[in-house]
Amino acid sequence: MKFKINRDHFSNGLAQVLNVVGSKATMPILSNVLIEAEKDCVTFTTTNLDLGIRARIKAEVKEPGSVTLPVKRLASIVRELPNLDVAFDASPNHHVKLSSGGSTFKIMGIGREEFPPLPELGDENSFSLDQATLTTMLQSVAYAQSSDETRYILNGVYFSFRDSKLTLVATDGRRLALISKEMDVAADRAGSIILPAKTVTELLHMLNKGTTLKIAFNERRATFQIATDKDTSGLLDSIYLYSKVVEGNYPNYQQVIPKETQQRIKLERELLLACVHRASLVCSEKANSVRIKLTSNLLEVTAQSPDFGEAHESMAIAYSGPELQVAFNPAYVLDPLRALTKDEVFFEVKDEVSPGVFKTLENFVCVIMPVRLS
Amino acid sequence: MPNVRILPDRVANQIAAGEVIERPAAVVKELVENALDAGATRIEVEFAHGGRSFIRVEDNGPGMARDDALLALERHATSKIAEADDLNRLATFGFRGEALPSIASVSRFTLQTRAAGAEAGTEILVNGGRFVHVRDCGRPAGTRIEVAQLFNSVPARRKFLKTDATEAAHIVTGVRLYALAFPAVAFTLIEDGRVVLRSPECADLAGRVGEIFGRQLREQLVPIAAEEPGLRLHGLIGLPGAGRATRHEMITFVNARPVDSRTLNYALIESYHEALPKGRYPLAFVFLEIDPAAVDVNVHPAKREVRFRSEASVRSFVICSVLARLREMAAPAPAAMPPATSNIQPSTLNVPPQSRVWPAALLATPKASAAGVPVVIAPPATTSPPVAVGNSSLAIVHTGRGPQATAGWRYLGLAHGEFALFETPAGLVLLDRRAAHERVWFERLQAQFRDHAVPNQRLLFAVPLELDPVAAALLLDRLDFINRHGFEIVEFGRSFFRIEGVPAWMEPGDAGPFLRDLVAAWREGPALGANPDAAREQLARLAAARAVRLPAVAGETVMQALVTELFACRAPLTSPSGRLTHIELGHGELARRFQR
Repeated sequence: MKFKINRDHFSNGLAQVLNVVGSKATMPILSNVLIEAEKDCVTFTTTNLDLGIRARIKAEVKEPGSVTLPVKRLASIVRELPNLDVAFDASPNHHVKLSSGGSTFKIMGIGREEFPPLPELGDENSFSLDQATLTTMLQSVAYAQSSDETRYILNGVYFSFRDSKLTLVATDGRRLALISKEMDVAADRAGSIILPAKTVTELLHMLNKGTTLKIAFNERRATFQIATDKDTSGLLDSIYLYSKVVEGNYPNYQQVIPKETQQRIKLERELLLACVHRASLVCSEKANSVRIKLTSNLLEVTAQSPDFGEAHESMAIAYSGPELQVAFNPAYVLDPLRALTKDEVFFEVKDEVSPGVFKTLENFVCVIMPVRLS
Repeated sequence: MPNVRILPDRVANQIAAGEVIERPAAVVKELVENALDAGATRIEVEFAHGGRSFIRVEDNGPGMARDDALLALERHATSKIAEADDLNRLATFGFRGEALPSIASVSRFTLQTRAAGAEAGTEILVNGGRFVHVRDCGRPAGTRIEVAQLFNSVPARRKFLKTDATEAAHIVTGVRLYALAFPAVAFTLIEDGRVVLRSPECADLAGRVGEIFGRQLREQLVPIAAEEPGLRLHGLIGLPGAGRATRHEMITFVNARPVDSRTLNYALIESYHEALPKGRYPLAFVFLEIDPAAVDVNVHPAKREVRFRSEASVRSFVICSVLARLREMAAPAPAAMPPATSNIQPSTLNVPPQSRVWPAALLATPKASAAGVPVVIAPPATTSPPVAVGNSSLAIVHTGRGPQATAGWRYLGLAHGEFALFETPAGLVLLDRRAAHERVWFERLQAQFRDHAVPNQRLLFAVPLELDPVAAALLLDRLDFINRHGFEIVEFGRSFFRIEGVPAWMEPGDAGPFLRDLVAAWREGPALGANPDAAREQLARLAAARAVRLPAVAGETVMQALVTELFACRAPLTSPSGRLTHIELGHGELARRFQR
């Protein structure tokens, strides 16, 4: 196998697949990248069996073929090569010669025979989405995923294609974020998956290199074809991402979203964010809560910790309901405020034991459960 | 001098009753065993007031003719064996012929029975061991026995009974054991008119376990089957990692008889020594089938204990079979492990609460500080003098140091992810991260409890918790206490609870296992109900072990903050379970070791 490639393109291609490597010592090949050369492109593939990524880069292929190389090392070498032109030459015994300008590397590779192929999915359950939209939607809910491995069902983002809309949900059992968007979903193609947290992170990395993406799934796995038409450093066609999905039943999230609105207030997102963040500076592991108090046209945020001190913030709002107060974990208030981009949010509260709800006009809901001193 | 005389049967029966019938649950056990021995396929048990006022056991077995029924009430009358040698071939539960006369001698006893072919049934009423009447009655084929006013003729025994709830729990537990042993028999259990357990004929043991213990538990079990000449083991065992803090869900049967066998219990625990942390007990519902001649069930009046002729071979057979099955499961992938149990940490349950030196100091100090020193904001320096006075040797040195104790400590690094190494003016200190964190959390939680300021995080999705009747009764009893300490738990049907809120530091997924451990600790330990301080300390100790989540990497600032917090504690030397938090190597020690 022999090809010539632009150093920055090479590096960019490896960067796409770099994060997905196996950690199992039993299968060393999983820490390698599969490099395949044919026609005018080189394909890079990595997988850890749960997650796999494939990206294509344009190159001048002289002799087609394939080999696998340790991806981390390779990426750090390629990044630092002195010259933009890189020649890649693999001998049949999997020794690779990499030369650029005055530097030459010889790297020991492994044959591709042991490299597990990425599963492909048919088109039965596939949908096209706009990349920018999906990015916004994922960012609006991803923070609410649980990291507690004992509740693995919650370690991901729930995608539901149903009732003419796409709904994304994430929850850790104490707060829940949901966002939905109108979309054509034929009744016979309706379905849902739980996409693992790690895949969500990778996906967010990949997005916004093009305009659209295609998602296909069945009950065990999901695949994404992410168009790269906006990329200018060598990526061809689309990036292919394969992932196992979290198997199990997602909790019935609809029942925890309050149906009735009690007290709704309109807030300036950044102002509230700043107030709560400042107040939370006095919080400690012992006392990790901020109290929100509503009185006539005034919202007050207070926090205190017994061994440090206390904070008091106030902001003017339009409010004429009864006086009430409720306490929350500050992170649960800050996360949705940070993730949103709109200037205005609506906040709904009822009393100190009922959940607080953030909403926007774009079908976004974030339910957060209060903290109480018992 | 009193003359030697032979006791009348009625007295002898009452004495035997003292051994065989120690509580209402024993009556139920004997009667259910009789029904099973008779080959019934449907058994209904009803009782009222913990069994003391009324017990009824009805079956659809073959029934008895009148003469047999009368004979059955005689002492040592049985259809199950004929000669002593039969004891070596026992395939039935009963054999002594003592149960019916014993029960009849201490209650108002009604027996109704009709043999399948007979025209009329027989009804026999015995009150306190005296025959009242024998007459014809109509009833379907089978036998029905009612035991009312239990222990009416032995008031002393009556006084020793526990509360109705406890006695009821024993009956329920007992019936469940037999229901497990005979999945093909339909069981109904009615308490005070309410159906507690109704299980139709199940296809297999797994189905029955699901019916009785719930689906959650069933999913943590895998079947096991092994055989060697003369021995057969089958049933269900827990997945690696799925453990409990008590043995209540480690249930063994020998030839279908529920038994409490040391040999089997230890064999099971030993098999799991790699699959479960120390001090946790495996889940098991296992049946051992063995030649009746190789086992003696006539050891214990209630036949709860058995003795094997060859303990060693039974033991090694069980260990080999279970280990082989566990290895088989471990082989494919760790993914086979239930994620719900991966977080189990070595529990501190097996440490007796009264051990070590420090509790005295701990218990003493809250009182000392409550006497006048403001607790919350007071720097440790102000609280340490009373500690130092009342405390024993080791702790004085450290508590006396106060927060300045760690001045001049330089963090060097973390060994094996567990031990932090510090250079100190006096030499070197090795710190056990987990133990240190546990100590810090323990005192933090104690402070929260004392100030009645336990933050409670409400949950979006209530966590369901299903307990066995005894544990449920305990939890129900202390629900207020628990709910005052950061939880929000509501009763949701019999033996079923919903966790609607957890202490703010706890992961929702941890709440179920934590409460199980807590209830188990209550069950094993001394009654602390009357002493809220001790109960709180127990809660804090268990909670501290759970609260600690160690990140894989910890920077210098984190470790410095940890030692500062640790030395602000009242008893920084040990963790709440009594392990050392750190070891100090002084200059002298170092010099001596290096022979300088």
